[in-house]
Order: sequence, then structure tokens, then C-alpha cells
Amino acid sequence: MFVTAASFKKTFRRDWRDWITFVLFAGPNLLLFVIFTYYPLIRNFLLSFQEYNPIIDKGEWVGFNNYVDILIQDTQMTRIMQNTLVFTVSVVALILVLGLLTALLLNQKLRFRNGVRSMLFSPAVLAGSAVAVIWLYIFDYRFGLFFQVLKYFGINSPKWLLDPQWAMISLIIVYVWKNLGYATVIYIAGLQAIPADLYEAARVDGAGAWQRFRNVTLPGLSPVTFFLGVTSVLNSFQSFEIINVLTRGGPVNATNVLVYRLYEQGFTEIQNYGRASVVATLLFVIMFILTLIQLRAIERRVSYA
Amino acid sequence: MKTITRRNLLKGIGIGAGAAALAACAAPTAAPQAKPAEPAKPAEAKPAAPAVVSNPGSAVTIVHWGFSGGNLEKREKELAAKFNDSQKDVKVDIQVQGSYEETANKLTASLAAKQAPDMVLLSDVWWFKFARAKALLALNDAVAGEKGIDANDFVPSLWNEGLVKGAQHWIPFARSTPLFYYNKTMFKEAGIDKVPDTWQGLVDLAPKLVKKDGDNIKVSLFSHPDGASYIAWLFQCVAWQFGGGYSDAKLTKYELLNPDTIRAGQFYADSVNKGKWAVLSKDPQKDFISGLTATAIMSTGSLGGVVTDAKFDVGTAFLPMEKQFGCCTGGSGLAIPVTTPKEKVQAAMKYIAYATGNDGGAFWAQNSGYMPVRKSTADTQNYKDFFAKNPQFKTAVDQLPKTRPQDAARNYVPGGDNIIGKGLERIIVGKENVEAVWKDITAQLEKEGEPVKKDIAALLG
Repeated sequence: MFVTAASFKKTFRRDWRDWITFVLFAGPNLLLFVIFTYYPLIRNFLLSFQEYNPIIDKGEWVGFNNYVDILIQDTQMTRIMQNTLVFTVSVVALILVLGLLTALLLNQKLRFRNGVRSMLFSPAVLAGSAVAVIWLYIFDYRFGLFFQVLKYFGINSPKWLLDPQWAMISLIIVYVWKNLGYATVIYIAGLQAIPADLYEAARVDGAGAWQRFRNVTLPGLSPVTFFLGVTSVLNSFQSFEIINVLTRGGPVNATNVLVYRLYEQGFTEIQNYGRASVVATLLFVIMFILTLIQLRAIERRVSYA
Repeated sequence: MKTITRRNLLKGIGIGAGAAALAACAAPTAAPQAKPAEPAKPAEAKPAAPAVVSNPGSAVTIVHWGFSGGNLEKREKELAAKFNDSQKDVKVDIQVQGSYEETANKLTASLAAKQAPDMVLLSDVWWFKFARAKALLALNDAVAGEKGIDANDFVPSLWNEGLVKGAQHWIPFARSTPLFYYNKTMFKEAGIDKVPDTWQGLVDLAPKLVKKDGDNIKVSLFSHPDGASYIAWLFQCVAWQFGGGYSDAKLTKYELLNPDTIRAGQFYADSVNKGKWAVLSKDPQKDFISGLTATAIMSTGSLGGVVTDAKFDVGTAFLPMEKQFGCCTGGSGLAIPVTTPKEKVQAAMKYIAYATGNDGGAFWAQNSGYMPVRKSTADTQNYKDFFAKNPQFKTAVDQLPKTRPQDAARNYVPGGDNIIGKGLERIIVGKENVEAVWKDITAQLEKEGEPVKKDIAALLG
């Protein structure tokens, strides 16, 4: 197309103004992202190829050595990946299922409904480390709350946090307890957004309670379920504070998950930033792929009625 | 009224920035001009002012990263307050960063950000990492320049642990050793009048002291910490007592596969799984204070807190023997980062002199449980009176001459404490074969230790 000098000047001026507006509005935000997200991401990736001494801020390029150390030579890595998988799948499944059931219950017109709702939601606003300290006492196998309750029923208390078989279960209990309220509240909102006439129509068509749930409620909740699924998976991968207070990855690595391994390699006495960066990169890649799968494959089935 | 247009706003900002720039240029010239006017100030000031503010600005402030939490944080702050009150030249400002690990990691970040504290408390496993990276000052000149410190008065073994190529980098302050604690009241009730001096003697007490509720141990004879709580520090002594150890001082030989170390590992595993007289605990100190265990081996640094919190008579004794006696030193010392300006170094040294001396140091040792680090301290009348009233504290000091520095595998291998601690968890909780675990742990230590080996040989005594 032929462009006259005048029209070019005009377009350029408009573009220039748009651009300035864009920079003025998005710039500060973008700058924060660049400084606190993108730069660290790139730096982390570079660090994973270095033998880095943080005390003197000096690194030596070592190729894939750190990757070999973490992915191949570290005998505990298989265990840690398994733990991460078990933890994420369990907590996400439990939070979605229990969250939905509680939401259905609390969506009924019950007495004290609002009180129960706030009680259920309250753990979600508490600090994770504070919650974990309380649970340390609940789980104590010699005088804790669970011990007392089980004793009343004549059951021997397991050693919870000190037993490799039970430590992961203990963590899952705490995590689900803490995050269930959030899922419930979102589900309640989702339930209330489903148009009542759909239920009426279903009833007129002779659908029973189960069929109404199966064919109206569940599809109606699919955007909410999708949202909760994505966020719960991502959050569970980042659950650090509960593990740090309750088990520190132990006993015998029974509760060591990727994010805790990252901390262990980088910020305990080991202080190996290169290897910690490998774990961080691994965590990033896994979360990225999972999110992609969720966005591509699962979102197609979500009906935004 | 004038509305603010974009142009006006920009103009305004421009003028403001220009003014600021001008002011910045003017500053250096303005300062000397202000000086001649200063002598006039006292005359103008109200007579009451100097009494309220004593010498503002003249004291050198030393930022110190110290202990976090519980009795130790409280006592260290009291120590600094006593020091600040005792003189006017130096003011120590204690800042709390967290555990040894958290403090050291924050120090790492602060060095990179050029925001390091003037003085820092570093534990046995951390200080060498910083010294090796040349992040700590050699303090010989500063020590020589402070008349309150006589290097020869320090307990030699503790002093020498902080030497790098003969230069002092880590001054003993909160130095401890493991100590055997027992519940005197419980012993008395069980009719035990003699504290065992061997492991076998201790095990023989199990029937009298262990209380069970069905299969559950209600009160244990002994309590082990878990892998994350320095179990490798305590087990080191047991390994020595059995005749083994972790490694030699130069990392040329590892001792985990020594049959005696294997035997010691088996002994630990059996204490929980077979003999069932000991438990693995998240917090042995809490167990001991609340009467859930009759005995425990803990740091002497816990003694102050334990004696205060326990509602029973606390007894202390030397560690039990097996083939021989064995006990290591530990704890933490004071170091000064290379970023600290020179005048502050000398000021910090003044505090170090006080905090380790016969006045401040005695206050600290008596209230925390850490060792008096100067030879003369225990001979003062103050200390003799204190020992007479608190014999538990004397045990720790009496045991000190029998202790020795730790094996390099725990102290100097990066992550050494963690690696060995996890191995012990595998043995005790995972019930894995001791020899196989030690083999695996030795391989890990060898790999991680390789890069520091050269520096250990070159830098440490």
C-alpha cells in the first residue's frame, strides 16, 4: 500500500501516543514483573549450570554437573518425586471432593449456616507456620489431641510425624484441613451461580436428585472445578511452611517433596545454590507442563454456560 | 483555579528534580559553612537538653546478629544491655535473624547486598564456610588493640578452633559440649542413687525408669533428637565412645565403616527398636522438661533454660562411656565480616572483651549454660559461689578438659551434619542395615568433601 508522508506522520504520532499511554499504565507493573519474576527466573536457570559460591557471589560454569547430581546421582530423588506426586494427587482430590460435598451441605438452608461457613473458612486465612505449630501438639503421640481421642476409643495412636508410614498422611490431613474452606467457599459461589430455572426444567422433565446433580450441578460447576483444580495443583507444589514446621522432610525423607528439597539444597547448611536451582527449574518445568495440559486438554470440557 | 494539565505536572516534576540536583551539588560546600556556627549551639540549647540525651551520635553502634528465641535470645539481649550501660563509647544493637542456619543464610545474602551486620554469631559448622570464602576478618590486630582481651586467657582448645593459618577468625563465645541430663527426682523415686557412667549401666536402669502404657512408651529412659536437630553432633560422641568416629581432621580417612562406628549405629537403632528404652523425639528438651524422658544428652547451652523450666531437680553428669570416654565441643562464636569498617571492628572487640570476660562472660555463661570461655572466669569468687549453688553447671566445666574438636566430616564437609543425620534416621527409623547406610553416607561425604579438602589442609592448623 502506498503511504503518504502525512498519513504516516499521523499514524506514527497516534502510535507513539498509544505507546506512551501503555508504558505509563503498564510500565510500573511490568517493571516489577521483570525485576521480581522474569529476571530471577532467568538467573535461576543460569545458576543451575554453575558451581556457585553465594558468599563471594562467584560462579563457575560446570555444564550439566548439577543436573547429573540431582537427577541421576541423588539416590533420594525417586522417593522425593513419588512423595510430591502422592502429596499433590491426594490433597487436590481430597480438597475438590470434600470441598464440593461441604459446599452442597452448606448450600442448604440450615440453621447457623453462616457461622459454620466462617468457621470452615477461617483456617484458610491463618498463617501456615502457625497452623503447623498447633498441629505439632495435636499429633504428639504421647499426649496430643489425637492420642487422647483415639485412647477414648481404645485405639493405639500411631506415631504420626515420627513414623515414615504416617508422616505423609499427617501432612495431607493438615494441608486439606487448612485449604478446604477456600474450596468450599468458591464452590458455594459456583452453586449459587447456577440458574434455578435449569433445576426447575430438570425437575419438570422428571429428573431425580442424583440426575439433577449429575446433569445440572456438576456441569454447571465445571468452570469452578477447573479453576480450583489448577490453583490447588499449583499451590500444593509450593506447600513449604507446613512441611518445614511439621517434619522438615523427614523421617527418612518420607515427606520430602520437591519444594522442600529446593530449600534443603539451597538454604540449609548444604548451601548449594547450583543444585537448588536445578530443583527449582525442575519444579518450574513440571508446573508449566501441568498447567499447559490443564489449559489445553481439560478446559475444552468446561462448559461456561 | 488552575487545573493540573500533563504539561504543568511534567514542568513541576522537572523543576523539583532540578532543585534536588542543585541541592545535592550544594551540599558539600554547605557543610563546612555550617561548622563555624556550631559552637554557638550549646548556648542556645535549653540547659535540660544535655541531661536527657547523653552524648548523641558519639557512641559507635555495632549491629550484631545473635541468638533467636527462648532463654538464649533473652539472655544475650540482657548481656548487651549490661554492656551498653557499662560504658558510653560503644552501643551494641542485637538483631534477631533466626536459627544458626537462617542467620548464616541471611549473612550470605547481606554480604552480596553489602548490608552485612558488623558482628555475627556463627555456629561450628558455618564459620569456616565464611572464612574459606574470605568473608571474615582476621582479628589478631584488633585483639592486640583491645586491652580487655588476653588471648592467652582463653581456653586454648576453644581458641585454637577459630584459627585460620594462625589468625583468629572466630572467637569463642557460646561454646558448648554435649552433657548428660537426668531427672533427679525420677531417679530418687526409682531408688537409684548412683548415676551410671557407662551405657550398659544406663541400659540396666531401663526396667526401673521406663513406663509403658500397653505397647506405648509413656516415659522413656532416653530421648534422641531427629535428623534435623543436630543428632549427628551428639552421635559423634557415641561413635567416639565406641571407638569409632566420622573422619580424621583432614578428611583423608572416613571412619564410618570402622566396625566400632557400625556397632555404635546398631546400638542407637536397638535403643529404639529392640531394647525400646529410648525414643526418637521432635524435641528432647521439651520431653525432658515435661518428664517424658528420664535422661537425655543435650547441649550445655540448654542448661539455663532447662533448669528454669523444669519443675523437678535437674542433675547433670559426664557422658556415659563405652570402650572409652568421648565428648566433642560445639556451639558458636563471634565473627566480624570483612565489610565492617575499621573503627567499628575495634568497637566490636570491646564488646567481645566484655561478653567473654569475667564480668559479662560470667553472666552469660551462668544464665545460658554455655562454657566460660576464659580460664580465669571459673576461678573468680563469683563463679565459685555460683558452682556451690548450682552444681549442675560445674559438671559441664569439669568435663571440658576431656573434650576434643569435632571430626572434619561433620564440621567442614558442606552439609555434613545433614548427611550424617539423615543416615542416622535411616538406621533408627528406617531400620536399614547399618553398614549399608554408612557405606552410602561415606560415599556422599567423600563427594561433598572433595572440594573443601584442599582448603582444610591449607587453612586449618
